[in-house]
Amino acid sequence: MRYLLLSSCILILAGCTSVYKNLQPATGDINYIEKFRPDFNVALYKAEVDVIGHHLSGLLLIKTLPDSSVRMVFTNEVGFKFFDFAFTPDGGFKVYYVVKQMDKKPVIKTLKKDFELVMLRKQDIKTAYLAKDDSSLYYIIKKQKGFFCYVTDKGGDTLKRMEIASPRKPIVQAIMKNYTNGIPDTIGISHKNFSFTIALKRIER
Amino acid sequence: MRKLILTLFIIIASQALKAQSAGYAPVTDAADFAKFKEQFTAIAKQTETIKSDFLQEKNLSMLSEKITSKGKFWFKKDNLLRMEFDEPYAYLMILNKDNMYIKDGQKESRLSLKSNKIFQQINKIIVNCVQGTVFNDDDFTVKLYESKSGYMIELSPVTKGLKDFFKNIDVVITKKDYSVTTIIMNENSGDDTTLHFTNRELNTPIPDALFAIK
Repeated sequence: MRYLLLSSCILILAGCTSVYKNLQPATGDINYIEKFRPDFNVALYKAEVDVIGHHLSGLLLIKTLPDSSVRMVFTNEVGFKFFDFAFTPDGGFKVYYVVKQMDKKPVIKTLKKDFELVMLRKQDIKTAYLAKDDSSLYYIIKKQKGFFCYVTDKGGDTLKRMEIASPRKPIVQAIMKNYTNGIPDTIGISHKNFSFTIALKRIER
Repeated sequence: MRKLILTLFIIIASQALKAQSAGYAPVTDAADFAKFKEQFTAIAKQTETIKSDFLQEKNLSMLSEKITSKGKFWFKKDNLLRMEFDEPYAYLMILNKDNMYIKDGQKESRLSLKSNKIFQQINKIIVNCVQGTVFNDDDFTVKLYESKSGYMIELSPVTKGLKDFFKNIDVVITKKDYSVTTIIMNENSGDDTTLHFTNRELNTPIPDALFAIK
């Protein structure tokens, strides 16, 4: 019984331990992360979204408009529109259209935050700091709750992954790779606290 | 009140302008309307199968962008539809009465059309157009326009659910053989999805196996 209690306590304590606790402070230019910011002049992606047993597929068009807002339109294969969002130049977010079934605050908020992460938007560098472990550099940008974290190799040349994290663990993990003229070929977003993934693969036009 | 009249005037004027710009004039004479309806329905009734190529254009007006898809289209009476997209990637959609099958790469899914209102509507619109039953659909009000070479049926949704999806749907019909050449689904945002049908083959035998959902 005593062993059971002891092992339970250890398990609970281990559960409270932050996966980021072993990171060491690092020095370097925090602005370096900017080079991974995608430059969506105009890009078309095949999109697959899996959310709690539902599968949506279609085309996601991302375009930077002359006023430098970034517009994202997701339609299915027969042209039916799921959403039309814009990230505005002043750091805002505008919903031009969202299909009734998706028109829920938590859904829109989640999508907005996910794309803010991969687009490296709304990053307040003043609250950012660098950390490291044996194999990676961590560009950490504090948010109201938790932080955004961009993980590169030690040289800062390859973006390994991006995370939206609570102080203890990642809530969302994302990858973005194979850039051509600033546009990534592959983007993947995966939520850790519920079943929700977004997979984007660029289509040449 | 003045604002209301002005708004109504602008709406009516823009509708008239749209039809006129494409060389269409409204068919207001009841006898002409009835004659067209009779001929269109009679020809559609003789249509057992349609095989065609299609070009789909998604026009995003605010973005000045057009997303183009291409593929093959098969229809068989009474309610069998197969759309095979080759571009921008392989995607197969079969609608067999109330059931739907999708093959996207290696991923296959089978759905009931009853739970997918939007596919149910798109299927209904296409089937109503090719079967000539479009005039009997209570979900839309119908207006007819005529040009030198063809007709255009303008379908305006009546029900709220449909109004959320479409402003109206234009069906372009050639005078030569009363076949549907284009379906334009206009959204309230100003965006539209246009389906162009080319290389049409009428009443060539199409095996049921093409529409089978296993």
